[in-house]
Amino acid sequence: MSGDLEWRYRRVLRLLPGWYRAQWEEDMVAAFLDSWLTGDPAADDDISNVAGPGWAEVASVAGLAVRLHLGGAGTPRRCAWGQALRRAVLAVLLVHAVLAVDVLVFLVWSRRLVGWLPAPPGSLVVAPAGAWAAVYYLAGAAWIAIFVSLALGHYRTARVLAALAVVPGLVALLQAQLTGIMPAPFGSWVFWVLVDLVPVLAMSAFRGDAPPAASGRWLLALPAGYVLVYGPLLALQATGRSAWLPDFPGLCCILVSLACLAHSPRAWSRQAAGTGLWSLTLVLLAAAAGAYRIVTLTSYLNDPHLISVSLAELLIMVAAVALVAPDAARAQTATPAPPPYPRAMAA
Amino acid sequence: MTGQAFFVLTALADGPRHGYGIVSEVADLSQGRVKLKIGSLYGVLERLAAEGLIEPDRDEAHDGRLRRYYRLTRDGRRALAAEAELRAATARVVRARLRLASTQAAG
Repeated sequence: MSGDLEWRYRRVLRLLPGWYRAQWEEDMVAAFLDSWLTGDPAADDDISNVAGPGWAEVASVAGLAVRLHLGGAGTPRRCAWGQALRRAVLAVLLVHAVLAVDVLVFLVWSRRLVGWLPAPPGSLVVAPAGAWAAVYYLAGAAWIAIFVSLALGHYRTARVLAALAVVPGLVALLQAQLTGIMPAPFGSWVFWVLVDLVPVLAMSAFRGDAPPAASGRWLLALPAGYVLVYGPLLALQATGRSAWLPDFPGLCCILVSLACLAHSPRAWSRQAAGTGLWSLTLVLLAAAAGAYRIVTLTSYLNDPHLISVSLAELLIMVAAVALVAPDAARAQTATPAPPPYPRAMAA
Repeated sequence: MTGQAFFVLTALADGPRHGYGIVSEVADLSQGRVKLKIGSLYGVLERLAAEGLIEPDRDEAHDGRLRRYYRLTRDGRRALAAEAELRAATARVVRARLRLASTQAAG
């Protein structure tokens, strides 16, 4: 009797998408039971009562489920979400890479490594505190390599580097938490989870057999992003208008709002084809930026002005996203599905 | 081609096999180094089927369950032969370099 064993394995298989189970579940169950049962009813009865899928077996099913759910296989809707997710991950890694470029530029500037550059304004000079901070900043520069690897299609390299790059941030957070020197505990952890950990986990959606999410043109976004974002920010800081600077969650909301506004004419144009995936990508980015903005409001509970500013950033972003949301909804039915299974397999 | 896909295609080279038959054959072929979990096996089978390298052969009843057998397609046989040749050529280069290095070290 295989009842209990079979039931336990089928429960694990619920991780897989329904369309996949419809085609493969019975076969997987048969192969799994073959790997356990002996053909002797008494022995099989005992095995069925005590055995179950081990951790390695569950992990293999979970890995397959992640690949199928995030990889964009199956229905047009899943295909659209998979492709939008990959673009959103690239966008977050672009932010990381721009931040890393800023760190490197600032190090070069503040240490006067380029002789002809004038000294930075005193208000900008903040020396890293100790060797650990220097290591932290240098490890941050790895995000440039991660972004470039992902944009060029070297997924495995990008994943390995990303798994290493999130560690210094985690160690720094734990150290600050344990020593009680963290200025905004909740916001710092949310930053690490939303901006470091989640995109790295979502990198499992990049696979060789998924549609490519990036082209070499994404690389141009790195210098462009640095100039367009940090140019105005540095100008404000250098001219003593630091009070005008948004905090990082606010900056994320503003950038997503500007991207939605820039994209909305194409999203509303009937001639433009294939814009829906970008709209869906912007919806995903807005959801992440909005969640980050909301949870970091707790840092400003004693400052009504900053609460008002933060809520205004949030509302502006919601209004901007509403412009592209209808196009994003259309993308879920318009995106072509990947090639179907061979007919014989579906039989 | 990944190592797992190579072993799965090799397991089907001498005839159709069902899911667990492939797992056992791959373990034998690799002398126990590759132990495919069922989730991994069906991830590989799904990709190979989508690429047209394998196809279902027949279903057989066994202890009240249906076992589905898979076989190589003509494209699958061709892909396996090309991959085997590539791996053999790589192995020849490695052996030649190791021999050269040994000779230089001895001299």
